Amino acid sequence: MKLLLPDILLVLLAALIMGYDLYRGKVNLTSTVPFHFAWLGLCAIFVVLLRLPYDQTVLYPGGYLVTGTSLLFKQVFVLSALFTVLLSGAYFTPGGNKRGTLRHRSEFLTIILLCTFGMFTVVSATDLLTLFIGIELSAIPLYILSGFYKEDALSLEASTKYMMMGAISTALMLFGLSFLYGAAGSVTFEALAKFCAANPNEPLLRLGILFVLAAVGFKLTIFPFHMWAPDVYDGAPTPVTAFISVSSKAVGIAFLLALLYGPLAALHSYLQPVVLILAAATMTVGNLGAMKQERLRRFMAYSSIAQAGYIIMALAGDAGSARSSIIFYLFVYAAANYAIFFILAAIGRDGNEQRSGLQGLGKNNPVLAAVLMLTAFSLAGIPPLAGFMGKFFLFAAAAKQGYYAMVVFAALNSTVSLYYYLLLVKEAYIIEPQAERKPLMLDGVQFICLFLLTAAMLLMGILPSISGGILAVAG
Amino acid sequence: MNGSFLLTLIWAVPFLTALVSLPVDRDDHRRIKKISLAGNLINLLLVIGLTFAFISAEAEHPAAAGAKLSQFHFTGKTVWLQMLNIEYNIGVDAISVLMMLLTAIVIFCGVLASWGVEKQAKEFFVLLNVLVAGVYGVFISLDLFTFFVFYEIAVLPMYLLIGLWGTGKKEYSAMKLTLMLVAGSAFILAGILGLYFESGMNSFDLQKLAQATFSPEFQYWAFPIIFLGFGVLGAIFPFHTWSPDGHASAPTAVSMLHAGVLMKLGGYGCLRVGMYLLPEGANMWMSFFLVLVTINVLYGAFGAIKQTDLKYITAYSSVSHCGMVLFGFTALTFAGIKGGVLQMISHGLMTALFFCLIGMIYGRTHTRTVSEMGGLMKVMPFLSVAYVIVGLAGLGLPGLSGFVAEANVFVGAFANPAPLYRFCTVLAVLSIVVTAVYVLRAVNGLVNGPISDHYKTLTDASLIEKIPVTILLFCLFAMGILPGWIVELVNGAVHPIYNNLMR
Repeated sequence: MKLLLPDILLVLLAALIMGYDLYRGKVNLTSTVPFHFAWLGLCAIFVVLLRLPYDQTVLYPGGYLVTGTSLLFKQVFVLSALFTVLLSGAYFTPGGNKRGTLRHRSEFLTIILLCTFGMFTVVSATDLLTLFIGIELSAIPLYILSGFYKEDALSLEASTKYMMMGAISTALMLFGLSFLYGAAGSVTFEALAKFCAANPNEPLLRLGILFVLAAVGFKLTIFPFHMWAPDVYDGAPTPVTAFISVSSKAVGIAFLLALLYGPLAALHSYLQPVVLILAAATMTVGNLGAMKQERLRRFMAYSSIAQAGYIIMALAGDAGSARSSIIFYLFVYAAANYAIFFILAAIGRDGNEQRSGLQGLGKNNPVLAAVLMLTAFSLAGIPPLAGFMGKFFLFAAAAKQGYYAMVVFAALNSTVSLYYYLLLVKEAYIIEPQAERKPLMLDGVQFICLFLLTAAMLLMGILPSISGGILAVAG
Repeated sequence: MNGSFLLTLIWAVPFLTALVSLPVDRDDHRRIKKISLAGNLINLLLVIGLTFAFISAEAEHPAAAGAKLSQFHFTGKTVWLQMLNIEYNIGVDAISVLMMLLTAIVIFCGVLASWGVEKQAKEFFVLLNVLVAGVYGVFISLDLFTFFVFYEIAVLPMYLLIGLWGTGKKEYSAMKLTLMLVAGSAFILAGILGLYFESGMNSFDLQKLAQATFSPEFQYWAFPIIFLGFGVLGAIFPFHTWSPDGHASAPTAVSMLHAGVLMKLGGYGCLRVGMYLLPEGANMWMSFFLVLVTINVLYGAFGAIKQTDLKYITAYSSVSHCGMVLFGFTALTFAGIKGGVLQMISHGLMTALFFCLIGMIYGRTHTRTVSEMGGLMKVMPFLSVAYVIVGLAGLGLPGLSGFVAEANVFVGAFANPAPLYRFCTVLAVLSIVVTAVYVLRAVNGLVNGPISDHYKTLTDASLIEKIPVTILLFCLFAMGILPGWIVELVNGAVHPIYNNLMR
């Protein structure tokens, strides 16, 4: 049962936090105890995850599979949940954010944890049903979380919109999965793989996987299913936005990796051009969209659409390079995204979370400005930061298959993205603020988190071999 | 001292200089400048030491005649990332050593020339030193991945250096420069990945790749994207447009370094990666690029005539002169390639001095428009004389460095018997006449004629300003009068590249 320990601990932690409120008998709005439980618990789970053996594959009864790859994805999910919890700290503290104070902390934390458990299920599934349940379990909590500013119209709009889009995506997913089931006559991966290898030209399979791709496209914000993202990212509370931008993307790509290199591996050559076209369109749309955004959460929405484009580009590669490059990139992307959102939280204390809120940062808080610059460069893929290494791996996965034109296209796209990331740097360093601004200050948690994230971005860029585990296991 | 350790030290010193100045008090500008000066002085000495060590190493192990593989000294390698066979793999040949020497001289003079920077001096010198570390890194890298990483490190700090400390439409220029150069490196990246996978040996090692046989189809598409990718930084037409704006907006030291050294990275990459690794591709495409760079040479010169701003004049002349670097390469003759390399060094010294002087003059007159100046010889004889001399170097006067380089370039290009080459050479030689026009007009407007009243109180260069000018003038003369040792070194390095091209 050792390999199941993280999953079990996660559920227990969720129950503990929910139980804490129940035990006290009344909802305590100001208590920080659940917060401390949550981050300590997540840290513990992460440590457990690090200490598990990564070279074993164990199939538990009921079709729950634990492999090295799934453990790596669980690391991503746990880290993402951890940073979301830490990020949310300021938003639950009165005066911590100009937009308002969130309430019902333990509810929030429980939902985050349960959502993370849904993601765990996706990477451990061995049949279509479990896969579907996992993906729903990770989706529905996000609809609730996006509407967590219960009196804020934008937040409620985001929640509603997200739920509508999510419902469509679910319908498409079920439709597609039913085709796969109809063709193979079974929901297990094993049967599906056997059928797929025997009949790779079966039209039902091809149609089915396209529907599934579209459904996952919503989660991954792949063009043309990305429309919801700017509104939802902008309306949702910032910690939730961060969580959606990292965890929800990670689970979407985990889902695709599990299917495309698992039971449907025989369809890979058929899917390659589809994936490349989607990748090209997605990164272009994201990059063009981000240029004009003043509101930073919308900005991050488009930025993360573009990043999704780079990520799925690696799906054109072979199994080993796709897995290792994508997982590596998820860590890199998560570090950079959370760093930006922590900076957003600092801006949001006294101002709107807008680009102009960064003005004067270079003089008032040079350290934070430097962190912002490094993060922007990491997102743009500039060496020696982690973002460059990550993108290099993704591009190499495509180049290995001979798609050099795609590499040129993606690299030029990332030049375009450099433009708007440089706008952040320009705002922080070059533009003189109109009026005297209060210097941005960080609280202790934010400081430590930003320190860790920056260190991760530098280390993974300069010494990618420290993530040797990721690169080796996934291969 | 171990040779490869010395090479690592040379890029590490500016980087450490940047790190050391981080904890210094923000308002203690003098200390920051002193640290920066000390770091770069140490590096200058190290590079001079390296040059001597290299000359004796070259004498001990002369390259075999007819060798097709460049000979590198002081090599060393460590694995950086096992999975993709990425190595930290370093070594130098004569071209790299001379370029490093150029870099060391220019940055040392650049630090002295920016002694007057008062605004956020700490950030300025930190970025400047990081940039220089990147430049050194490029010149020592024998692994294409490492090469690329250093290349980008050398390009990116430019954005803030121009955007924050620049003049004029600095934000626009900074953005344009950064984006165009990074777009160029997008092509380089794809080319490098292509070399890695298509060589069939999954390696970024320059020397290994030089022995690989690439299919002609691959060379046919890979060569132009690599050449153009690096060419953007070498200001190849039509991708030169970042250069005038960028150089005109940049602060003095940055213009010096950028026009003097960074643009040479482009030419260096074209030669080292493009022509050395893909000789057949080079033979297929060179007449096309020849036409482009001929336009460069002429367009830059004619562009300079039209300009009234001193910095724009020099920036356009840089386009023209950097075009001559690539013109020498595209000639595909021994003398041509040699001339191109010599032109990299000569132009580096010359343009650094140009921008250095312009910065000092601008600091006094607060204008760079030629027509608003005049008679400066009366109030600042030192700066004026220096400006006259560097102008003469620009138009290729014998006895100064420009002549040695340009003579080689044009002789080399004319030596190629193809009619197109003859024709283009004749056209390109005309640019010297045009150069004479804009240089002499600028000099005339600057130093001669009546002086307006509000300039009469201006002072000549201070001691700290005279040092960089003197060093650079000395180098211009040294290379012009005694080019022998440089030419000999360059010969040794160009032979294998040329033999490889002609196989």
